Amino acid sequence: MATSSLAKHTPPAKKCARGLTIARASLAHTTIPIASGGAYAILIALLLGALAPSLAQADTGAYLSSNVLAGVLGGHLAHLGGITVTLAIYLYSAFYGLLFGGIVAYVSGVAIPLTIENGTLDLALSRPISRTRYYLENWGAMLLGAVLLSLLTVFAAWFATLFLTHPDIDWQWLWITQGVQSAFLFFATGLGMLLGSFLHASRTAGWSAVGIIALGYLLNTFGGLSDKYSWLLKINPSYYAPGIDPLVYHQLIWWYPGVLVMAGLALGSVGLIVFNKRDLPTT
Amino acid sequence: MLTQEPAIVIERLQKSYGTIQAVKGISLRVQQGEIFGFLGPNGAGKTTTIRCMLDVIRPTAGTIRVFGWDAQRDTLSMHQHIGYLPGDVRLPGQMTGKQIIDYFSHLQGREPVLLHDLVARFDVEMKRPLKGYSKGMRQKIGIVLAFMCDPEVLILDEPTSGLDPLVRKIFNEFLIEEQARGKTIFLSSHVLSEVEKVCHRVAIIRQGELVTVEAVEALRQKAGQLVTVEFGDAVAPQDLDRVPGVSDVTQSNGSYHLHVSGSMTALIKALSCHEVNRLLVEEAPLEEVFLKFYEGPEKTASVTR
Repeated sequence: MATSSLAKHTPPAKKCARGLTIARASLAHTTIPIASGGAYAILIALLLGALAPSLAQADTGAYLSSNVLAGVLGGHLAHLGGITVTLAIYLYSAFYGLLFGGIVAYVSGVAIPLTIENGTLDLALSRPISRTRYYLENWGAMLLGAVLLSLLTVFAAWFATLFLTHPDIDWQWLWITQGVQSAFLFFATGLGMLLGSFLHASRTAGWSAVGIIALGYLLNTFGGLSDKYSWLLKINPSYYAPGIDPLVYHQLIWWYPGVLVMAGLALGSVGLIVFNKRDLPTT
Repeated sequence: MLTQEPAIVIERLQKSYGTIQAVKGISLRVQQGEIFGFLGPNGAGKTTTIRCMLDVIRPTAGTIRVFGWDAQRDTLSMHQHIGYLPGDVRLPGQMTGKQIIDYFSHLQGREPVLLHDLVARFDVEMKRPLKGYSKGMRQKIGIVLAFMCDPEVLILDEPTSGLDPLVRKIFNEFLIEEQARGKTIFLSSHVLSEVEKVCHRVAIIRQGELVTVEAVEALRQKAGQLVTVEFGDAVAPQDLDRVPGVSDVTQSNGSYHLHVSGSMTALIKALSCHEVNRLLVEEAPLEEVFLKFYEGPEKTASVTR
């Protein structure tokens, strides 16, 4: 074994820039789920190219106008024609929140508990790093992950059009639809961060966040079945992230994304308060 | 190089988890440039105290100051001057040694000026992913992380856990060198023989209460000496038992073994009345004193008398 002596006059440690060290490390943990989400979006896009012409010829009017399907998709559709409607069903329906919102909620829920499990939280907070900064950098990383996922989705939609001769996509409204879904992803980060602020185990926190998103999707489905249960719609976050209405019908209630952003902000902020107040566990 | 201004001041520290009191109002001071041992059995409250010092858990009552900075109110200022080694070094498996060192030196906001020396001294593997590291190698990385930015105060929780005897020896030598450079070291350990070698003073905590804070030298005197004597004439055990300061007289293989507390004068006078063929005097192991403190109030009383 090599041995050495410390220099008697070790130079004082110079300051070095911290940058967004925590955010970068946190983002690195999201690589696989975000890449999986992106790959899924591209897979859907490829399928769209193949399915769109056949679907346009199908006579499915009665089926599409049913409340059951509207509940499942998160909006009514009148016909199956065109790439836009196909996108609305397979990418931008309520499935978007369930799938991509689920991914973002999971990685956000995992972000802090993972550092408890891998032992880096204690070590990081024994450095001159405040809990607030630690939390906000993690949250920022999750938001960046959500932005990447949003951009990958739009890229996937664009990619699908390369295989079609006359894509009927209104790009302005597609970006608006994506903006609405991004507001949902923002909500999902806040939800995940809140759960991760007080749950110790990363998988528990991650799956709890996914469970809440899935519960929201179920509320959306059952709430659409009958007027008697329509109140269920309004207490679920998916309701405020319509994909079909803006993409297909170019209609949007503009304050709906605001509800999601405010809710995400509120949840994430409560998580910050909890994280600042609590005793942090070792495992 | 002890100075008057304490580096660490803990006052009436309490920490409760519901109805369980993990730490019950302990107070202690660690002087600058001192290696201070913090001992106690499992579950005594050592790690809880250390985690309160780092502000990862919040005390129920009491204060902790490091160089005058309050552990809760001036956390960031305080943390610029400390290095911490946790009791169980767990690190993210996908990172390499170099990556984890870069990560934590960036968080510290200071260049790792001692990195080269530490890596050479402890023979630390830097290139492989951490998931392939043995417990001992992870502990070495933990040591590097604690010391690399040359902090003034080191808080070490079971620092030699998982290290082989050779590396333990190197680590103890390193601690003494660091102390000579003016560093203050707060060290929790179960390895009593090591504490004895490196620490100036020790605090012993049991069931959340501070049992004693003593200089190691004072404890050594309390531990007394072990004497083995072989007589050339007949001596009854009772004759030795009656000598002031002598206790625990046993006989084996023609020799007497006895424990002497305090001065040896009375024993030497008693021995001079007999023919002594062989006399062996050894320091009593300090571990026995520690263990008596660990075991409970009755045993503690026998040490503090």
